[in-house]
Amino acid sequence: MMTTGFITLFMREIKRFMKVVVQTVVTPFVSSFLYLLVFGVSLGSQMRVHGGVPYLAFLIPGLMMMGLMNNAFQNSASSIVSSKFSGDLEDIRVAPITNQQIIWALSLGGVVRGGLVAFVTYLVGAVFYYLEQREVLAILHPVALIYFVIMGGLIFGMIGIAVAFWASNFDQLSAFSAFVLLPLTYLGGVFISVESLHPFWQMVAKLNPLLYLINGLRYGVLGVSDVDVALAVILSLIGFVVFYGVSLLALRKGSFQRW
Amino acid sequence: MPNPLEIQHLKKFYGAGSFAVEAVRDVSFEVRPAEIFGLLGPNGAGKTTIISIVTTLEKPTSGSAKVFGEDVGVNPMFTKRQIGVVHQEVINSGYFDVEEILEFQSGYYGFRKNTERIHFLLHKLNLFEHRHKKVKQLSGGMKRRLMIAKALVHNPKLLLLDEPTAGVDISLRETLWDFVRELKKEGMSILLTTHYLEEAEMLCDRVGIINRGKVETMGPTKGIIKDFTQREMILTLNRGITVPKEMLLEKKENTYRILVPSDSNIGKVLTDLHVESSMIGDIEIIEGSLEQAFLRVLKTPEKSVKTKDIHL
Repeated sequence: MMTTGFITLFMREIKRFMKVVVQTVVTPFVSSFLYLLVFGVSLGSQMRVHGGVPYLAFLIPGLMMMGLMNNAFQNSASSIVSSKFSGDLEDIRVAPITNQQIIWALSLGGVVRGGLVAFVTYLVGAVFYYLEQREVLAILHPVALIYFVIMGGLIFGMIGIAVAFWASNFDQLSAFSAFVLLPLTYLGGVFISVESLHPFWQMVAKLNPLLYLINGLRYGVLGVSDVDVALAVILSLIGFVVFYGVSLLALRKGSFQRW
Repeated sequence: MPNPLEIQHLKKFYGAGSFAVEAVRDVSFEVRPAEIFGLLGPNGAGKTTIISIVTTLEKPTSGSAKVFGEDVGVNPMFTKRQIGVVHQEVINSGYFDVEEILEFQSGYYGFRKNTERIHFLLHKLNLFEHRHKKVKQLSGGMKRRLMIAKALVHNPKLLLLDEPTAGVDISLRETLWDFVRELKKEGMSILLTTHYLEEAEMLCDRVGIINRGKVETMGPTKGIIKDFTQREMILTLNRGITVPKEMLLEKKENTYRILVPSDSNIGKVLTDLHVESSMIGDIEIIEGSLEQAFLRVLKTPEKSVKTKDIHL
């Protein structure tokens, strides 16, 4: 019975974002396409990073992780916020589903949506890369790639849960996204290698936890990274434990009642 | 066998210190097996707060709510499986159609395939033809019926109805009343809150009247009506009589509108008024209503209201 409740909630999440596939998958696809076209193909065609990696190849895993994190966060957060409006969240609270099951169902929903966006970004990037370099963009470390996709999706799904329970309106949700997530993502090595920065700014950049997830996934695709991959694995595990605790606390203390 | 629902010394305060708002103040009552218990009160009386505590949406400040003997705070997974709840505000899910909503609801309660029950409820509540519509395409009455179907997909033993007929037209209300009576006959216990007092009078075996977070009186519906209302007797005679001023409501020629206590014997009243049977042209008795009793209870100073039939 407990498993059925969890599976139902998870499947509901998948069905929910598939019902608005233009918003959840097609829009990120268009964004990725434009980023790759403008930054990767037009501006980056002459650039090399990590001693020889074409800039377009460098950019693709960064955009994959950026899309993954944004969509995992948005999935959990918008699911909770829309359920607060509709009253569905009360039904979930009243049903025999534990807080742990809610967290896993919502954040795994985020992994699926984020993973789908990352996959679409990879496909688009691979096409651009083939057109530019006349070679296939192979994935060098698939296990590392899968690990960082799952970890990135889970962590940002859980952040989405915590923020949606904390937020008392849409403004607060947007503010968190705009003033916390977006700067950290852009300064987390999506577009540039931290190796190209002044040593001081390199030190500052390494305080950004997103740098480790982005570079972990970059290692999975290209086999290169700005950070120690073992450290990225450890920090992502710590991040998972911390945000699992935070989201659990949010569910225990937060209100399930409708707005 | 423990009662389906037992509320004991329940208190719920919002805020702290001198700013605390006492939403529920030491409330105790129970819902017995296969009974419909009406929790009645004006807006803000604390009815929905009590339901929120029973369904774990809120935590009590003190006291307990037990479902079939299990405390909702101690064993919520057990108690949640026993309860079906129809919330006061209508749902407004934007993504899914009626049948999908009921399938998800079944899944939350552990039913992977619940098509037979879902279709039974859709037919019963006249929603089958609308099963592929989204909630926003439904009328207000259909949304209410959907909420009732949602509450019943897992066949609960205790049903909590928080103003289930608010904003529903009279014919649909009657349909819902019949359905609620059927559920009771099948052995379901029901806690009903409503502002329609004629609805409570028709459906409820017992009622509790709550005001400002406190139960003012509780007992069998007929008993409450009897205790807090008076009957009116409209008496048409072929000659005049003398009626004590405190009993006489109106007099038109030889027709008298007289107030008589609910528990009084009409024959004795007529004898006391020196009315012989040969004098009576017509006689009509108008019984008191739950609405009159409700208004009387709310107007009566707290100390003088009898609280009876409380089982702790």
